[in-house]
Amino acid sequence: MERLGRIVSVTALALVILFLLLPILVVVPVSFTEAPVFRFPPEGFSLQWYEKIGRVDGLLSAIGLSARLAALATAISLLLGTLAAIALVRGVVPGGAAVTAFTLSPLMLPGLVLGIALLQAMREIGLRDAWWSLLLAHVVITLPFVMRTVLSSLSLFDFSMVDAARTLGCSYPVALWRVLVPNILPGFVSGALFAFIASFDNYPVSMFLVDVRTKTLPIALLNFIEISPDPTLAALSTGLIVLTIAVLFLCDRLVGLRRMASI
Amino acid sequence: MRRDPLALLALPGVGYLVIVFLAPLLLLLYASVRGPDGFSLDGYARVLGDPYYRGVIGASLQLALITTGGALLLGYPAAFALARARGTTQVVLFALIFLPLTVSIIVKSFGWGIVLRRDGILNWALLNLGLIERPVRMIFTEGALYAGMINVFLPFMVLPIYAVVRMLDPRLPDAAATLGASPWFRFTRVTLPLSLPGVVAGVSLVFSLSVAAYVTPSLLMGDRYMTMSMVMAKAFLNLRDWQLGAAMAAVLLVVALVVVVGAAALQRRLGGR
Amino acid sequence: MIKAHLAVRGASKRFGPATVLDDLSIGVAQGEFVSLLGPSGCGKTTLLRCIAGLLRLDAGSIAVAGRDISALPAHKRNVGVVFQNYALFPHLTVAENIGFGLRAQGVGAAEAAPRIAEALALVRMSEFAARPVTALSGGQQQRVAVARALVVRPTLLLLDEPFSALDRKLRETMQVELKHLLREVGITAIFVTHDQEEALVVSDRIAVMRDGRIEQLADPATLYQQPASLYVLEFVGQSMRLGGTVRAAEAGEVMVETRLGAVRAPGHFAAGSQVVVAVRPEAVSLGGAAPGLNSFEARVSEVSFLGSRTQLHLDLADEQDSGMVELARLPAGIGPGSAVPVAFPVAETMVFPAS
Repeated sequence: MERLGRIVSVTALALVILFLLLPILVVVPVSFTEAPVFRFPPEGFSLQWYEKIGRVDGLLSAIGLSARLAALATAISLLLGTLAAIALVRGVVPGGAAVTAFTLSPLMLPGLVLGIALLQAMREIGLRDAWWSLLLAHVVITLPFVMRTVLSSLSLFDFSMVDAARTLGCSYPVALWRVLVPNILPGFVSGALFAFIASFDNYPVSMFLVDVRTKTLPIALLNFIEISPDPTLAALSTGLIVLTIAVLFLCDRLVGLRRMASI
Repeated sequence: MRRDPLALLALPGVGYLVIVFLAPLLLLLYASVRGPDGFSLDGYARVLGDPYYRGVIGASLQLALITTGGALLLGYPAAFALARARGTTQVVLFALIFLPLTVSIIVKSFGWGIVLRRDGILNWALLNLGLIERPVRMIFTEGALYAGMINVFLPFMVLPIYAVVRMLDPRLPDAAATLGASPWFRFTRVTLPLSLPGVVAGVSLVFSLSVAAYVTPSLLMGDRYMTMSMVMAKAFLNLRDWQLGAAMAAVLLVVALVVVVGAAALQRRLGGR
Repeated sequence: MIKAHLAVRGASKRFGPATVLDDLSIGVAQGEFVSLLGPSGCGKTTLLRCIAGLLRLDAGSIAVAGRDISALPAHKRNVGVVFQNYALFPHLTVAENIGFGLRAQGVGAAEAAPRIAEALALVRMSEFAARPVTALSGGQQQRVAVARALVVRPTLLLLDEPFSALDRKLRETMQVELKHLLREVGITAIFVTHDQEEALVVSDRIAVMRDGRIEQLADPATLYQQPASLYVLEFVGQSMRLGGTVRAAEAGEVMVETRLGAVRAPGHFAAGSQVVVAVRPEAVSLGGAAPGLNSFEARVSEVSFLGSRTQLHLDLADEQDSGMVELARLPAGIGPGSAVPVAFPVAETMVFPAS
């Protein structure tokens, strides 16, 4: 009976992985098709759709915008989040547990609700600039991701190690740099990674805050799907997937995917 | 009480959230009761009273239930297999489950559309295997929607359960065996109860995410399956009916809060014993 | 020969290239307490898990009360186990933990309740019945673990380092208490431990294990006074040891040349053999040569005052050798660096082949 359980669970895992990868993998061969249709199996081999990415109106600028937005939002969140995490773990913050829950709460709310709320608020105060609205919103989106992992890292960190470093001759800042930073780096990196992805891929919030000239990539993609879908989408998607895998690889080299997995 | 200077470090972050997150939410709640002539509960009356909108709420809940149930059914045993794997295999398997989370929901839903098309991969496989004679219409069906939703939210079920299962003490089922417990008894009385915190986390996460689904239903079903989020979006972007949109948003918020608070309470009960 | 209650014959187990159990056989009588004593990696825990049915033997058989259980899965063997960290079910109360085995075996609530109450009373934990096990101290958890294993009336009880998680004072109390309890119940018990003092306290017989084999199986006194090998000598109790070469052998006695002088001991070894002579510390005294005594001079390296006794650590020639004299009181004028005459009876000197 135990063996049965093992077979069931392994089969389930195999099915899950296949199922999860299916829509992602199917996009790749389609991107190389010759015909402007999404037929499978694709006919011929052509790189024309990759080339077309650059020519589709607004696609490249959307990519640039999303990347800048995500990077900036993540950076701000890292700063605000790390400071807050230090305060919550090392300092005495009145209502500490409630404050922690509050900083993590944007994660638990439907993104659309947040988008609508921010749209309303922006109108009320008369902020019409899409870029600034997006940035303000995306910091709210990314902050909880950073808080979650940095808090977890910090609370697992044994601060007596810093004391030990000081007794061995390091000054306080040097001890923090040499001992604290390397140990919370996984929390930092995985938080930054989650935050960046959350911002880059975000639709529900961005959808309300973009305007005709300022579009994030998900919005541009959806417009493209609705108006004139062709395998350029597949090419772009493939590019994004490859990029993501490369980033995951990089994180594994820097910090170790295993370490990130346990956080 | 002496004020801890270190605590001030939390001020920028918390302050930011209060201004840019909490305040707009409160404003939204205010908007839900602000009619053209002042205070009115008209928005809620429509959202909760009108059969069309009630149907939409019901549809969203149904979608969330099916998605959560399907993800649980597949994800629970899969999490066990993942936890049992060792070494590099486990890291690779974990990465394969984590990777879909990093791929944009739009790419995934779009890819799912390609899979299901008449000239897509699923029909192609079924035709070549001789199981069907003509391509079957799968796109824009409810089945396709459920499959697509489960596809998007499955990792959110697997990972929390996995996180709990890998911490389980393997000696507990051993001890149960030496006390005469059959494998089934060991599973239902020891392993299953101890895995419940992970199940609660996964279920609450997937439910609260899928009840607010927008992208996947609109891409896979369009207007044929309206969810609360789609109504909200329409109300704000197309109809410019602020009150309706805000009221629907408030309902969605309440549902999400109920799930989160309920899950937290359950966790406390499970953990405290 | 007493018919063995537990009979292990030719047990072998390999993990990959490593042989963890090597053709091991042991018989334990009904109601007897036997300890498996050895360092980590000697196979004692593996043997325990094989007897419990949590591991399968590659070769050999296990029989309990005459019945071959080798092919049975763990839940059909009715062998009780107390795990090292107790493995109590964290989601159940004390009473539910104890009643778990009864429920698993289909015992109805009506019959189970009095048996659970009886088991609670046996380990003096009756007031804790409704407590969650996570709120208990180490000693309390151990008692619950024992009650849980006993309530299903196993034919045999296995205990894996049951005292290692307790602090020293508690350990000593619990060892005596548990032994008394198990005697009362009359069950056959096998302990696994790496602590030789613990083995000496709880066991009727001790099996000293090494690399998957039993080096010696005997009662504590025999093990202490007549160790079968250097390994057993070093594992059980303390001793003074000197390496040397056999110079002469006659009439059942050998004369060994050591760095500190000639030592005579009963034994049979060929001249030229490399040996280790050893003697238990209680046989050693400060004194000069006399008939029937071995003696030499040694330098004191350290003095340890332990209250009821004082230990003089001797600086013997080699790091392999070790020596210690135990005295009730330190004589005047003796401290680190003093040269002292050391004497011990030839009759109590042991000789072993150097490993």
